[in-house]
Amino acid sequence: MTKLLCMAVTVAVAAPLMAMPGDQGTTLEATNVNSRYTVESVSLSASRTRLSTSLRADLDRVVGEKLDHPYLEQLATRIKKELRVSDVAVRVAKGTSPDHVIVTFEVTKGREQNFDLNVAKFLYHSTEGWSGEADATTHIAGNAFTFGVVSDNDVLVERYSGVRAKFERKNLGTDRLGVSFEFDSFHNQWNSATVAAQPGSPLDLYDNREVYTPEATLIIAQPIELHFGVRFSRFRLSTPASRTESSNGVVSTLRYHPRWGSADDPRHPDEPEHEVDASYSIEATTHALDSDPVYTRHSIHAKYKFHHLHNLLEIGFLAGRITGIAPLFDRFVLGNTQTLRGWNQYELDPLGGSHVVHGSVDYNYRFVQVFYDTGAIWDRPQDRQHKQSVGVGLKKENFQLAVAFPVRAGHTDPVFFAGMNF
Amino acid sequence: MQNIRAWWVLVAFVSGMALAMFAEELILRAHDNRLEFAPQIHFLTGAPLARLHNAAEVPFDMKVTLWSGTRNHVFAHNEDRFVVSFDIWQETFSVTKATTPRKSVSHLSAAGVESWCMGQMSMDLAGLAGSEPFWARLEIRAENPGREGGLFGRGNISESGISLAGLIDIFSRPPEAEQPHWTLTSPRLTLDELRKRNGRGS
Repeated sequence: MTKLLCMAVTVAVAAPLMAMPGDQGTTLEATNVNSRYTVESVSLSASRTRLSTSLRADLDRVVGEKLDHPYLEQLATRIKKELRVSDVAVRVAKGTSPDHVIVTFEVTKGREQNFDLNVAKFLYHSTEGWSGEADATTHIAGNAFTFGVVSDNDVLVERYSGVRAKFERKNLGTDRLGVSFEFDSFHNQWNSATVAAQPGSPLDLYDNREVYTPEATLIIAQPIELHFGVRFSRFRLSTPASRTESSNGVVSTLRYHPRWGSADDPRHPDEPEHEVDASYSIEATTHALDSDPVYTRHSIHAKYKFHHLHNLLEIGFLAGRITGIAPLFDRFVLGNTQTLRGWNQYELDPLGGSHVVHGSVDYNYRFVQVFYDTGAIWDRPQDRQHKQSVGVGLKKENFQLAVAFPVRAGHTDPVFFAGMNF
Repeated sequence: MQNIRAWWVLVAFVSGMALAMFAEELILRAHDNRLEFAPQIHFLTGAPLARLHNAAEVPFDMKVTLWSGTRNHVFAHNEDRFVVSFDIWQETFSVTKATTPRKSVSHLSAAGVESWCMGQMSMDLAGLAGSEPFWARLEIRAENPGREGGLFGRGNISESGISLAGLIDIFSRPPEAEQPHWTLTSPRLTLDELRKRNGRGS
């Protein structure tokens, strides 16, 4: 019995050592023989500081793990996107210890794409008309300079058309702190319903406005970040006196944006993907900053996204409140391509509202989309009216085409909208 | 002068004919009523070999087609996929036959991998008469590494926009490099001829 045991142990120990050419493998799960080796180190042939914190964490996590070549190629693709280079190759070599390997991500130099054009928004809405925005961005020494043109009649009570210029540096000594400075100059146009409603209200129409927004971003701890800064707005009123007013205040947004499931681990693309994007924003104007109107604007945005195979469910929530009298560009709007889709925003409240609450549920199967919106916008509690809408459409990545109906008694006119990134 | 030109034309024609006649043919062998293929294609070369030396695995798709009687009648065909990897520490190759029954073999040289794969592609000749003419063709293709696709983002809540960088990236790549592939065809043969030829060879 002891002899048999000794023979068994000897065979067990000797078998791997006596591996001969042509050995028939017993384990068929791993087709890459190198997947048994452990990653000793990971290096990048470019500066790691230009990578996002999450990508750097993912690179660090590879060390000590078994070699997974397809996953390394996914990481190379992410590096390529973040560094905006033409190619990133994965190189694997023997490590300094037996059964260990060294991974190097080689960045192809000399073809860095420092300039990018982006069609940030392009939309046709059957009651609002066209809206669009295009930006050009160049990256120089870790700084991003963006110049854009915009004409938008969807998100605010006004149609604003003009230019945007922005400087941004995401790394200010540390990855946790970034700064940006944005300057906007817009010409404003007003819907006839807004013009008709304005005389009886304390709100003023204006012809143009300029906005300066220096802001800092602090990553408190992934995935929580804080944006804080000041916003200086100057707008020339449409009154015959053409008086210029200022609305200057501090702005701050606390954002929570976690992702988990396959969104966090691309090695399991078939697993459900969850994403939350929630934020609380406050803007408080003050005479201390030489502001004419004094008001405080609170808003909460939340969106939960669940994605599994061909199913995509999105649940959105918005709530906001303004104390004081805010200019029209800061008032809430419902009845556009994001909220109460199917309703006409000028019919709901041509001057926008100081209070808002809204919820939406979108469900997509492959590229077919159905959605339901509900919400209310008001200034005085007695004006609050609960509205609902439903819609159906086609949505593929950033492109969307939809028709939406307001839920109400009597005659209803559907609203049609189509475009991308709205 | 006219005569010299005529000679050159004739030489070019004859050399072309000779090249065509002596182009490499698929070498077959009949053994125990199975058709076997000589490991004459060295597919572990070039770009696939470079990827293997970089610790990646490379799948090779192989297909054998056998026609009998006429070139329009497919007598049998056999397709399989072989996933090859190169052990960067032991500097030997491993290969896994991907279809059932799955098989795996390791500690091979490059020639050993090529030979083992050819062995797995042998075909049963039951039903083929000894005097019936047949032709065989062997095709091997190395799978190109997958290109991460998409002109547009994956659809993050915050991700948006058509990026010119994406367009530039797509059009700055050379057109998808032609997939490394090899094809060999046998001359017209009968089983009797093949057995006789094998007998002479052994």
